[in-house]
Amino acid sequence: MFSLNNQLELRKVTISSLLTCIYLPSIVTVISYKGLLYSVGNGSSFYILVLIFFAELLKSFYLNATNDIQAKRSKANKNRVGDILKSFVFLLVALFCFFIGIMLFGAPILDCHEETLMLSSLMSLLAVFPLIAHSGVEASMQLLFGIKNYGRDTITEMLVNNSIMTVCGAWLGAVVIPLDWNTPWQQWPVPCYLGAISGYLLSNVFTVFKVILLSAAQKYPTINSIINFLNNLHSAK
Amino acid sequence: MKEKWNFTLYLLWFSYLILSAILMFGRGFLLSRKTLNDVTDCVPLRDFGCDGHEKGNSTDVCNKEEKIRRILANPGAVIACAPTRQRVVFLLVDALRYDFTEYNPDIENPLPYQNRLPIIKEMLERSPNCTRLFRFMADPPTTTLQRVKALVTGSLPTFIDASSNFAAMELQEDNAIDQVVKAGGKIVLLGDDTWARLIPGRWLRSHAMYSFHTWDLDTVDTEVDSKIYNELKKDDWDLLVAHYLGVDHAGHRYGPNHAEMKRKLDETNNRLKKVIEMLPPDVLLYVVGDHGMTETDSQEGNESVGDHGGESKAERTAAFFAYRGLGLGGDKENNKPGKEVQQTDLAPTLSAALGRPPPAPSLGNILLPVLPTLPISHTLLHLSNNLKQIKQYLVRYGEESQQIPLDKLAHLINATREQIDKAATIGSESELSVYVTDVRTLIENIRGVFRDVWVEFDSLSMLRALLLLLLAIFFNCLITEGLPIDKIPHVFASSFIPSGIISVTICIGICYTAFYFQLLEDVEHAVILSTGLVSGALICALVIMHWNGITQRWYETRLLFYERFARAALVGSAAILVSNSYIIEEGASLAFLSLSILATIVWNIGTIKALALWASCGIVLALSRSYRGCREEQGDCWTQGGGASAGPASRAALVLALGSVAATVAVARRHIGWRGHGVVLSGLFTCAHWAVGWGSLGSPSRSRLLARGAWLVLGSMFVLLWRKENRDATLPLTVCGLLLYVANSLVLGAAFAPSAALALLSGFLVLNIVPMMKSEGSTKFSLLTRCSSSVACLWALLASYYFYGTGHHATLGHIRWAPAFHAGDPNYLPIGPQVTGSLVFLDLFGVPLMFGAALPLLVLWSRGGAAVGPRSQLAAAFILSLKFAICFAVRVFASAISATIHCRHLMIWGVFTPKLLFECGACAAALTGTVIGLALTTWHLPTQQRHS
Repeated sequence: MFSLNNQLELRKVTISSLLTCIYLPSIVTVISYKGLLYSVGNGSSFYILVLIFFAELLKSFYLNATNDIQAKRSKANKNRVGDILKSFVFLLVALFCFFIGIMLFGAPILDCHEETLMLSSLMSLLAVFPLIAHSGVEASMQLLFGIKNYGRDTITEMLVNNSIMTVCGAWLGAVVIPLDWNTPWQQWPVPCYLGAISGYLLSNVFTVFKVILLSAAQKYPTINSIINFLNNLHSAK
Repeated sequence: MKEKWNFTLYLLWFSYLILSAILMFGRGFLLSRKTLNDVTDCVPLRDFGCDGHEKGNSTDVCNKEEKIRRILANPGAVIACAPTRQRVVFLLVDALRYDFTEYNPDIENPLPYQNRLPIIKEMLERSPNCTRLFRFMADPPTTTLQRVKALVTGSLPTFIDASSNFAAMELQEDNAIDQVVKAGGKIVLLGDDTWARLIPGRWLRSHAMYSFHTWDLDTVDTEVDSKIYNELKKDDWDLLVAHYLGVDHAGHRYGPNHAEMKRKLDETNNRLKKVIEMLPPDVLLYVVGDHGMTETDSQEGNESVGDHGGESKAERTAAFFAYRGLGLGGDKENNKPGKEVQQTDLAPTLSAALGRPPPAPSLGNILLPVLPTLPISHTLLHLSNNLKQIKQYLVRYGEESQQIPLDKLAHLINATREQIDKAATIGSESELSVYVTDVRTLIENIRGVFRDVWVEFDSLSMLRALLLLLLAIFFNCLITEGLPIDKIPHVFASSFIPSGIISVTICIGICYTAFYFQLLEDVEHAVILSTGLVSGALICALVIMHWNGITQRWYETRLLFYERFARAALVGSAAILVSNSYIIEEGASLAFLSLSILATIVWNIGTIKALALWASCGIVLALSRSYRGCREEQGDCWTQGGGASAGPASRAALVLALGSVAATVAVARRHIGWRGHGVVLSGLFTCAHWAVGWGSLGSPSRSRLLARGAWLVLGSMFVLLWRKENRDATLPLTVCGLLLYVANSLVLGAAFAPSAALALLSGFLVLNIVPMMKSEGSTKFSLLTRCSSSVACLWALLASYYFYGTGHHATLGHIRWAPAFHAGDPNYLPIGPQVTGSLVFLDLFGVPLMFGAALPLLVLWSRGGAAVGPRSQLAAAFILSLKFAICFAVRVFASAISATIHCRHLMIWGVFTPKLLFECGACAAALTGTVIGLALTTWHLPTQQRHS
């Protein structure tokens, strides 16, 4: 659960989550009205990924913006170009890992590469990219492998939660594939693709919900019991 | 430490509970019928003498009428062929429900399926003497395969029509088609390939189409249409069978209340019109629906549309329309449209129309109203043929099976004999009609008796068996999850096990005594029920005695995420057995789930090495996908030939098989000391067996000899496993796993042997991941982690996955029989059936057996718990074994529940019941394996003095 120590971080987290809650559903709505929802596996729907990429980039700019002059100076010293290149390579590696992982979990190995690739790029965009953009390559690697703990850093906690939920959503999406209903949304990779998006979205909704709970708890102390319960659930992991 | 064998005893006890409950469930659920290979034969009239006996040397001449009268007067005479023969066109319109054929001009807004077949109404009005329309009542199961069987044999098909070779799809019994072919008749088949698969090779011309694409409404019908009119013009056939599928598929896809149904029924109407126009006047036309379909439920929209398979009235009521240009027999008053006739009646009627006696297993009576008008003597001949055939069947069935009580059977046989005697006394029309009614009632009666045995489930024993399973699983779950691991040796050293075994023995004794004094009828049932209940009560008492410890452990322990996830995954894998689509795709879902559990465990470990091991395990699972094949319901894959389980192995497959065995044996040999020689020898024999027997140049006899050599080495190695050496159980267990692997690849054959190696490899990878699992503090906790439920669930899911991974599928048609014969034909041995059975069992469930036997390795691998001493090690191995066994028991329970829920489902015999059977098999194999593994561990772990 988030800490209340840093009001600024909390506000940032809330606003970025709210932004996600607005832009992702609108993208999905638009493509479903255009009738393209079931062709998300085609390479032709690459522009959706580009849209998500820019949205996430903007969000990460917002999250990274600091008023702290010290931090700005120290950042300016670093080699920006090299950083970007490194994160790009890391993103590609993550994409490849997702690609292989999805295949191991049961995606067709010899065909449907385009679809699998689209899914894995979506997952690396939603799950890995915000982390890299926020905390850099090394730190995000450590975070993903669970070596480093995010401690009391609210933003990182949110980002890690987001990526876990995205992967879980994609995992859960695969449940409907074997059913024999012959519907268009059972085509590979539509359920996993939508599952990843809805997992990400759900995680953001939870974030907003948690912040609301926290702020409400200041007024009504009875809510604290719910927060404790949620904390317990979380630490059981 | 004498009590160390108590663990194995308890596991045996648990296995007995589970298996006996399964047995009880199967006895209530698996309706079976003995298939007899008898064939009815008839003697042509010209071979009869005038005295009604088969012709000897007498040469006196007499006319047919007289001859028939004489034959009738002689009740002992053999069946005589009917003198007249018709040609028949048999149109099977799949799922033609009776009300589709009705026409009611008063309906203002007809539903899509109403009033769509006006031709039938028209014909009924125009020439009532030439047409008949009946309700054609089907017996459940109303699935097409079972219906076609019933239509041609005239019997009531059950799930297991036990015969000598029940795996083949081919019909083993006498049937109307065979009867016609026997008399030299020619048959043309058009349409559904169910016929061609059931009765192959009997057709003059056959145009059969693949019928499993339920979404395709037109292909089969257009194909039949393109052929049928030409066929009607020809006259070289005696029977024309045409099977239209469109209406059925429209029902499955859209339900009866849909415009597509309207279109298909209109097509049918035009088709009928055209056929009737083209039909020569002396040819019989039978238009038949094999079953109906359910109504569309207007409230629920597209839920349960036009399906079939169950026993509702709408599904059972099909239509039967008969037409002959020159008129049909029977009186009009008795045969108004809408009379109910049974589907079993078709086979004898069809045979009679074609001048043959009814097929041997038929339980129907001849429908005189749909045959041409016959003279009285001919009618009587048909009736007495029918009765004689049924009498013969009753006698033969009584000889072969004890399903029906003997006194009942004797009563029926006597009644039949009486009716046969009466035939000669009939002279006038009025007497005949009384006689016909009598015969009809008698046969209905006989049919009812058989129906009770073949069609009704024994729901009481099913429910009791489910209760016993639940009891055993529940209390053992409490024990494994609740009892603290350090208390377990004390519990099992107490008098619990001996008292349990004594009480079970007493139960069995009481049951047999009661049976001896005839207080009980069904001793087996009573034994299973009483021992199950007593064991449940005992284990319950154990749980109550240790309730404090259990609650304390539950209060203290906090489950980790992967632990919860693994349990959820196991329950999920059991829960999806309720859905037919998941059962069909179960291979993929099991791989998915086990890989997911492994992923959560690895996530918890969080090292690169574990990740690499996970990835290689995933790769191994992905590789095993190429051996998975597919079943008939997986349409695309099936039609591409993925379902054809390979005949002889290709060259590449042979090289792969040799390579896999050689590599495994060579790598493993170095680590297992002198035992390595035995493994290498058996591996060499196996490789030589394949290599020598391969291809056209191979020598089958030598290859069989080599296989026997391999079995000999394997057997002696298995005996040598029990030689005590150093005080360590890891080595014997590893060798046991390897031996089972070699045995497995031997029975799988060269084509599938690498999949066994893949199974071994993935097991090995998991073995290496498990010791890395984090544990808090002392070694005792490490042992606790290693025997946690997540490991057991993972191991169980992997073991069940490799049933599919070794190229099997949960359908009876997928059982491979080649393994039974790889080392020679066991039928020449006195224990032939047992050898065949165990070889096929090993072929199917070898991997669960291997995983079960290797299970204690999970605890002992890489010096696990070496510090805590053998006592705790043994307890941990026992707990893990019990958990593993419970995992399989849970899956069996779920599939039994789903079979109970779906017992009238469309796919019950195609999907759910085979799944139940194979799940039970896997459970039995896993239980055997764990017992072997645990016994081996107990034998080899050093005894230790008790210090407490």
